[in-house]
Amino acid sequence: MSAGGAGGEAKGGYPPQTIMAIGIVGGLAGIYLGNFMPPAYSFFGGIGAICATVWGADAVRRVASYGLGTGVPSIGMLALGMGILASLFGLSIGGVAGPIVAFVVAAIIGGVIGALANKVIGMGIPIMEQAMVEIAGAGTLVILGLSVVIAGSFDYTSVVQYVVANGYIALIFIIGGMGILHPFNASLGPDEKQDRTLMLAVEKGAIALIIAGFASSLHEGLMAAGLNMFVGIVIWYFAFSKHYALIKRDAYAVVGTGLLPSSEELQ
Amino acid sequence: MIDALFGNIIWMALITIGGVLISWSVHFVPVGGAPAAMAQATGIGTGTVQLAAGAGLTGLVSAGFMMNVTDNLPLILASGAVGAMIMIAVTMIVGTLVYVYGVGVVPSSAKVKVDPITKYRQDLYVSQGTEGHGLPTVSFVSGVIGGGLGGIGGSLVYYSLIEVGMSVGLERAGITNAVTGNPLVAVAAIFAIGIFFVNAVIPSYNIGGTIEGFHDPKFKKWPKAVVSSLIATILCAIVAVVAIAQLGGI
Repeated sequence: MSAGGAGGEAKGGYPPQTIMAIGIVGGLAGIYLGNFMPPAYSFFGGIGAICATVWGADAVRRVASYGLGTGVPSIGMLALGMGILASLFGLSIGGVAGPIVAFVVAAIIGGVIGALANKVIGMGIPIMEQAMVEIAGAGTLVILGLSVVIAGSFDYTSVVQYVVANGYIALIFIIGGMGILHPFNASLGPDEKQDRTLMLAVEKGAIALIIAGFASSLHEGLMAAGLNMFVGIVIWYFAFSKHYALIKRDAYAVVGTGLLPSSEELQ
Repeated sequence: MIDALFGNIIWMALITIGGVLISWSVHFVPVGGAPAAMAQATGIGTGTVQLAAGAGLTGLVSAGFMMNVTDNLPLILASGAVGAMIMIAVTMIVGTLVYVYGVGVVPSSAKVKVDPITKYRQDLYVSQGTEGHGLPTVSFVSGVIGGGLGGIGGSLVYYSLIEVGMSVGLERAGITNAVTGNPLVAVAAIFAIGIFFVNAVIPSYNIGGTIEGFHDPKFKKWPKAVVSSLIATILCAIVAVVAIAQLGGI
């Protein structure tokens, strides 16, 4: 599978520092708000997860522009693999500081794997170490944010009981990974634009919030779950409309193909 | 936290060995990616990570099933290996059927002139402009070996994590009727999956594209990936053991 190829640095758009700030500050703020507010406001965790998804998608965009040789999806799976380990570790020893501990541990694991990929395996991507730190951090914040939506808090006992022990963690693994890996994978090509890719990440994050909101009905009740899903649907609608507008902006032309011809017209 | 790490040092070593086995197993599996899906390269038409994860998770399920009835480590490892080998073999049989009867190509390798197992000529059957197609015998055998190694690695990681949980006083087989199941089994399984994904992606960066199996020239690069996986899995093992040991406090 020779996906990609010798690429170069990703060009244009917002600088990485801006997106990184949105991801870290927005992600952590959402996770803490979702934890300390009453259960009905657990959708803040989902909004934090959306911020982290955007950050992760931007990091994937920057590193995958160099050409990984294995396809873009592998890096999203790596992000969530590291994220699961770091997030449960952080919650288990951190207490109130759990998400921050998890984030720091994710950065360490990401940094080590990035350094191994560059130094031992010899991938030769100049931003590999930094990108791996960012991707591991974003994956951790996505998992924590969606766990807060389902469990209502990031207390280790609640997360293990309401998210891990009933298997919702597998759901979070896939929908969170999809938000990080899909935007660049779907938009890559010579006319890839950062704002379009990131708007797709917002849309994917909103879908993740809707699904996590659905799952939260088991523990938080129908009212809180309904509110979670409502917030997700509103964000999804705006993000999808904006993404469609950006597609029309970047397309050469948008034409209607008409309906399928009837059997008489084909003869 | 430090006590938990020193008390479980043997299990951490086994987790690391499991991670290294997973990383090594990925090099055996014939991966073709998008070109293979168009029958322009040998192997299965998807990425390394998906295949390794598929084989590993099947191994995890069959190892978990065996742990229902016994706690004999060799039996559990064998069950995991056989589960993963069946999964990867079935995938390759169906893939070969599609290549031969659906696409209409002869399974043949462009990387070697003669199949090392059957000794049949390969180069005569390779279509022009392609890197071979289908799954030649040597790739099939190599893939089954890879599935076996991955299954052993995955079940070794899972078994070790369960034993870590047992050592801090958590029951194993406490299946309840509630919607939420046994926390130890869930946490051990999800950590095994996390370690599996990390160790499936690292070697796939080493391979970087297609691999046909152990006869492929790229196969010689495996020591690099194994060293990388060794270091990464030690970190993962520390993190996982501490998180599971903390479950004892709940």
